[in-house]
Amino acid sequence: MPNVVEAKDLSLSYEKGHTVIEKANFNIRKGEFVFITGPSGSGKSTLLKSMYGSIKPDSGLLKVGELDLNSVTTSKLQELRTHLGIVFQDYKLVNEWTVAKNVALPLMIAGYSMDLQQTQVQRLLKHVKLSDYANRYPFELSGGEQQRVGVARALAKNPMMILADEPTGNLDDYSSNVIWDLLENACVQLQTTVVVVTHKIPMVFSLSYRHLILENKGVYEVH
Amino acid sequence: MKSIKNHLMFILPLVAILLGIQFFLIFERLTNAYEEKLKNSYTILAVSEKELATKDFQAINSNIASSIKVDRKEILKEISAGQKPEDVEEILNSLPNFYNIKLAKYLDATDINKLKKQFIASGKVKKVETFEGSYTSNYKLFKFIKFILNLFIAFMSIVSLFLVIKQMEVWGYIHRERMQVMEIFGAPLMLRSGILFRVAFLDAIISTLIIVGVFSFFSYYGIDVGGIDIVEQNSNLLFLPLDGAILFLSALLMVVISVYSVVTSSKEKDI
Repeated sequence: MPNVVEAKDLSLSYEKGHTVIEKANFNIRKGEFVFITGPSGSGKSTLLKSMYGSIKPDSGLLKVGELDLNSVTTSKLQELRTHLGIVFQDYKLVNEWTVAKNVALPLMIAGYSMDLQQTQVQRLLKHVKLSDYANRYPFELSGGEQQRVGVARALAKNPMMILADEPTGNLDDYSSNVIWDLLENACVQLQTTVVVVTHKIPMVFSLSYRHLILENKGVYEVH
Repeated sequence: MKSIKNHLMFILPLVAILLGIQFFLIFERLTNAYEEKLKNSYTILAVSEKELATKDFQAINSNIASSIKVDRKEILKEISAGQKPEDVEEILNSLPNFYNIKLAKYLDATDINKLKKQFIASGKVKKVETFEGSYTSNYKLFKFIKFILNLFIAFMSIVSLFLVIKQMEVWGYIHRERMQVMEIFGAPLMLRSGILFRVAFLDAIISTLIIVGVFSFFSYYGIDVGGIDIVEQNSNLLFLPLDGAILFLSALLMVVISVYSVVTSSKEKDI
């Protein structure tokens, strides 16, 4: 399988002079499910943000798809992001938009017609079991429901990779399991690469996965 | 209610800035009208030994529009009462030529002085009376009032600009998260700022219409400003159709700068 992410001697900092990852080497291949864990402040979120170009590498190589994120132009980065699905711990839904509009965001950005957006949104909301919530607003939903909307939004354009930052961090066990199921399904059924930053890998997880751990500014694989 | 307040907080300073621009345009036009009026009612008296034509005066100074020779017999009528006809004839022959000279454009005191010196230096003109005392004193007062008003307009515009910037910060706060989320999902700048542009564009139209409405009304129905002739006689100058375009373009420019500053100041690293 081809590499979706390739990091060579990658150094990252979340503030100027505050290096969290130094000369890290790792690859993530297409269709893999990868957990990234590590203690607080180890740079998990920084690493994830660097994968969607929100944080630029200090040095080394970081390639996502065919794109070198060290020398990427704004338009190329925008193009890359339309092929990624991002899930946040605090959902990051637009509160003044309905659930349907939130899910349609990536389709809107890609310039899909309204009809196509509607069809796709209905399908996605059915997939995350929120068909009846299309016209509600995020603040009317529970945390678990909001995160399902977040996952539906991430899946909307059939992305090449889903990047999830503590997707179950604010959820109870039941809602967490629903989210893990959705992410597993995306990986198995759509062959989407899924990278999840988390404090704790779920106890019950049927899919085989890779585990990268961040420690002492390095990225290590747990076998 | 909150939304109306948000609109008003942008519309009011925008109206104040547009008001400043409109006042500036009006004062420029009133100045031109006043200069035209001064120029038309102003005459220089030149005295020469030889007969001169308008082109002779224009050769000395290009700001001369026309010259009219004063009939010497008319002058003599005033002073020759009781004189013998031979004496009157002798006086007539010894009298120089008098010319009333009109200017092509308004000249200030310095230019008038320069013109006077040029006339004398030419050797063709023996004496010049410019009467610049009354000519310049009113104009200086007018210019001073205009300067004070321009200062006030500038001050008002700066204060309003700060209010616009303040409102932009509020907008930035309201729309920041949405724009950041859109940016992370790859939305280009135009799409991210679409809502802001639509809101600000609407406010720019409303602000322009308010100013256009008020000044069209004054222009059409006239305005009572306590007997200030230059304003009352030129109430048509209070609003010209071109002003509408200038005001709208100015409002649009401010909207584009304001929205662009909000969009570019929303850093996704904060997310």
